[in-house]
Order: sequence, then structure tokens, then C-alpha cells
Amino acid sequence: MTTDPLDALYLPVVPIEPRPEFADALLRRIEARPGPLDRQTATVRYFVADLDASVDFYCRLLDFEEELRPSPVFAMLYRGDLRLLLSVPGGAGAVHTLPDGTVPQPGGWNRMTLQVADLASTADSLRRHRVVFRHDIETGVAVRTLLVEDPSGNPVELIEPTAGYHERSTR
Amino acid sequence: MSTVSVRYIVDDVDEAQAFYVRHLGFRVEMHPNPVFAMLSRGDLRLVLVAPVGPDHPGGGSRPMPDGTPQTPGGWNRFMLQVPDVDVSAANLRREGVAFRSDVVSGVGTKQVMIEDPSGNPIELYEPLRPEARLQDS
Repeated sequence: MTTDPLDALYLPVVPIEPRPEFADALLRRIEARPGPLDRQTATVRYFVADLDASVDFYCRLLDFEEELRPSPVFAMLYRGDLRLLLSVPGGAGAVHTLPDGTVPQPGGWNRMTLQVADLASTADSLRRHRVVFRHDIETGVAVRTLLVEDPSGNPVELIEPTAGYHERSTR
Repeated sequence: MSTVSVRYIVDDVDEAQAFYVRHLGFRVEMHPNPVFAMLSRGDLRLVLVAPVGPDHPGGGSRPMPDGTPQTPGGWNRFMLQVPDVDVSAANLRREGVAFRSDVVSGVGTKQVMIEDPSGNPIELYEPLRPEARLQDS
């Protein structure tokens, strides 16, 4: 095969590794892009043992609305701007099982924090429904807070703002 | 008004704050003391707290009445929607972020799980079908 002399005019393709700070800025710009593809509404995923009991708990006691329940191992709920995904771990083809076989579990301490208007009355109502309390109402710096568990033992924090509570200024 | 708030327990608030700002585009709303920071990203408010003693004025990370401390880790997490999860994962990997899982495809999303410096999970996902995508309402 003959060599085309014009090939000598082509610039070589050199792979470039972007500088970390450039990659950072690029990632931020990609993620900050407005529009329906990148709505920044918050989503939280909790792992639960019993989907029916969990959907019932969140919808009946904490004002969530059921959006989707397409399978026995997954439900999508909403409460205002919060989208809560409930996933039952394990099972056939479970996408959340790690390559080493580790199955996600409910529990832990990281949690969503739900603002309520009257924490005392919410606490009374939850107690009447025999919800498990990790701790009773406590007073923090700018909120009164209560930590309860869903039927699988996942923490849910309920807060009532007190003086000094921070609301974001620019929206 | 931001209505969605998530609290993560971290070992070191300064380190965690730097992680969320640098790698995931969070903004610092306040960091008034060494054991508390409030960050935001879109509609999500992320509160980072380090475990404190029972007499600490901040209520979010005290031990339970029986003495059980609050610790980082577990599996429950917030999720961030990204346009291309492979691109995001490649960038984060280059930045040295810890991964708990590889990119996997589920029913409605393609997703990957990373960890903050305390081992707390964060899920990045790319919607694969309309129901998984957050729509402008």
C-alpha cells in the first residue's frame, strides 16, 4: 500500500489527560446544567425489609405519597420536594448486591430530616402507632428533634425549627 | 424554602465538607463550629455532623439515651442525578474518590455508589427511563 504524502500534514492525535482542576470545573458545569435532564430535586434511597409495611408507615404516618410501586421490591414515594426510594435488598438479579456478595441492610445513622409544624403532636401520634423511638424530643441549637425508626429500623429524624433556624436566603 | 434535608454522621466535618464541595459540587451554607456544617446542592440540604458527647448543645449527633454512639456508614443514602454516570465515575475515580460499587444498570437507572471520607455512601445515577428521571413539575 502506497503512502499518501499528504498524511504528513495531519497532526498526530495525542490523548490529553485533563488537569484535575479542569476536570473538576467541567464536572461541576455538567452537573449544574439546568433543565429537565438534570433537575436537582433530592432523592434518598432507604433499604427496607418489608415493602408493604414501609410504604404504609411513610404514607400513613409521615405524609408521603405513593408515586410508583412497580414491583414487590421497589417503591417510589414523594413528600414535597423529597423523593424517597424504598428498595428491598437481595433477591434475584438484585442490582444493589455488591460484586463480593454483600447485601445492603437497613439501619445505620444517616437519615432524612423531615420538618414538622408541631413536633410534640407528631410524637404523640407516632407513639400511639407504636413507632420505635431511638430518642425522645431533644432540644438542639436551632431545632427540636426526634429520632424514630421505620418498620425496618431505618432512622427518620423529625425536626421543629426554633429561634435561629437557618433558611436559605437565595432561591 | 429548602424542604429536603439529610443528615450524615462523619468522623471529621472539615474533611467531609471539603469532599462534598470539591467532588460533588455542594455549596457551604454554614460551618459555625468544628462538629457541624450545612451544605446545599439544588434542593438538597446536607447536614454534616461529627459525633459529640451527651452534654453537647448540638442535638443531632449526641449518643442515644442508652449510650449508643452515632456512627458513619450504613447503606441508606441520598442520590444525585447526573447526565452520564460513566463520565462522572471516571472523573471521580481520577480524583481518587473511593468506590463501593462499580457502575451497574438497574431497572430504571444506571448507577454507581461512592463513599465520602468517613465511608458514607452516595449514589450517582443516570435515568434509563422516564419514570426514573426527575421532571420539572
